[in-house]
Amino acid sequence: MSDRVLAFDGIGQDFPAPGQRTNIRVLDGISFAVDRGKFVAVIGPSGCGKSTLLQMAAGLLIPTRGAVHHRGRKVSAINTEVGFVPQQAQLLPWKTLAENVELPLLLRSVAAGKRGERVANALGAVGLKGFERHYPSQLSGGMQKRGSIARTLVYRPDVILMDEPFGALDAQTRMVMQSDLQSLSMEAGATVVFVTHDITEAVLLADHVVVLSQRPSRILANIQIDLPRPRNMFEPFRNPGFEPAYDAVWTEFRSQIDTGRVH
Amino acid sequence: MTEMTYDAPERNATSRRRFAANAAKLLQWLLKLLPGVALLFFWQWASGRLIKEIYVSKPTAIAQRLYELFASGEIYPHLWTTGQELVLGYVIGVAGGVIGGYTLGRSPRLARIFEPYVMAFYGVPKIALAPLFIIWFGIGMGSKIALASIMVFFLVFYNVFAGVRSVDRELVNLTLIMGANQRQLTYHVFLPAAAPFVMLGMRLAIPYSVIGVIVGEFTSSAQGLGLFIHEASSTYDPAGVFAGIVVLLAFVASANFLASRLEGRLLRWRSLSGAGPIDI
Repeated sequence: MSDRVLAFDGIGQDFPAPGQRTNIRVLDGISFAVDRGKFVAVIGPSGCGKSTLLQMAAGLLIPTRGAVHHRGRKVSAINTEVGFVPQQAQLLPWKTLAENVELPLLLRSVAAGKRGERVANALGAVGLKGFERHYPSQLSGGMQKRGSIARTLVYRPDVILMDEPFGALDAQTRMVMQSDLQSLSMEAGATVVFVTHDITEAVLLADHVVVLSQRPSRILANIQIDLPRPRNMFEPFRNPGFEPAYDAVWTEFRSQIDTGRVH
Repeated sequence: MTEMTYDAPERNATSRRRFAANAAKLLQWLLKLLPGVALLFFWQWASGRLIKEIYVSKPTAIAQRLYELFASGEIYPHLWTTGQELVLGYVIGVAGGVIGGYTLGRSPRLARIFEPYVMAFYGVPKIALAPLFIIWFGIGMGSKIALASIMVFFLVFYNVFAGVRSVDRELVNLTLIMGANQRQLTYHVFLPAAAPFVMLGMRLAIPYSVIGVIVGEFTSSAQGLGLFIHEASSTYDPAGVFAGIVVLLAFVASANFLASRLEGRLLRWRSLSGAGPIDI
């Protein structure tokens, strides 16, 4: 119980539907927990409210029903103890890469002397040494994404929330980034909640895969993935035990695709 | 030794390339100047031949007139008055526009209340207010400053308002999660994001401040370039009118130059192209 970092307790969310009197029920009774140092992937069909869950954990949205608890405290305002890696890198275009990564430290009033070293370490960890003075517009999409991850790692948040962070990258870049994310999170012992719609990505990265159904979303399964680490991100099928793990997730997920509703 | 032989032609090539680049730049400038010079020559030739000189004057006469005006010092009081009016009107208008646009941009509640009013006043042709302003603020500098600043205000206001409202909500949320308070959010996100819009408004506002001041001086004034031009035109002195306009042009040109310098300073990150390293 003590190493439970994040707990979603009976989360329900309604959104007003345009032109209708009744609300759309998006999430319905979602409950799961994230333990310290664990990598949890949340997977579901598009439009099922996966990202909404992350927004709730960050305190950007208060759920209609239920609550998110972070270390036992109910999240009711912006949660500055989490890190958020969005789908787009969202670096500030008017700051250089180093200034972007330094920003959270500046905002948290970390002493100037310590900031430089931590920025250098974070940039080194994501392999962006030598690009400190570049502006985001001068970096490729993958490099911006690395910068975005460095900006989150640099202040060592309690939980890292990632919202389909590799969705916009090309296939090769994505594999490299997945591999790097695995080693980064293993080294840092980070707690990660990772939203994706890619089953392979979820199975390869996560310790637990939470499978959501279509709207109104319920949890279909919370599947433990026991593949040994480090896992091979480039050749998924070479990981011993990958196939049964993939099957376990796919069996749950398949029913949601077969229903053939409009996504 | 091998390095030397390898180096020498290389250096030669770079210096030749630099020379070629400089020559190209010079040619560009000449091409840019050509239409203007051609126009001046045509004007000079046509004046007195195609059109009576009393209607259009001619470049040499205008140059002569400008020289006299500055040599005798006749123009200085007008220049001083108009200069003060322009600068004050511009600064007040920009400051008001930035503060107003920023405040309303940040607060949707205030924006809902005040936007219709600002919209309504925006639609009023400000030039029509000139006679009223003369009554309210006198025939001195006050009325011209008021007219110029109200014209500048609306331009800057709308640009800043739009700029602040266009800031990506996700960027704001991320910065809040990173630990920003409202003051830090303003400094690190909203102001830099609005800067391009502020600069655009400031650049657009330069000619409008001139229009405001000159219209004010045309309407009623004791001193100023507008008055000078007005008097010249009512005494059939086209050389004087054009001389006044040249002085105004110089004013606008130097203001534009300053604005573009400031823009280059503030918006360095924007001028950098996406020509970055291709890498993952």
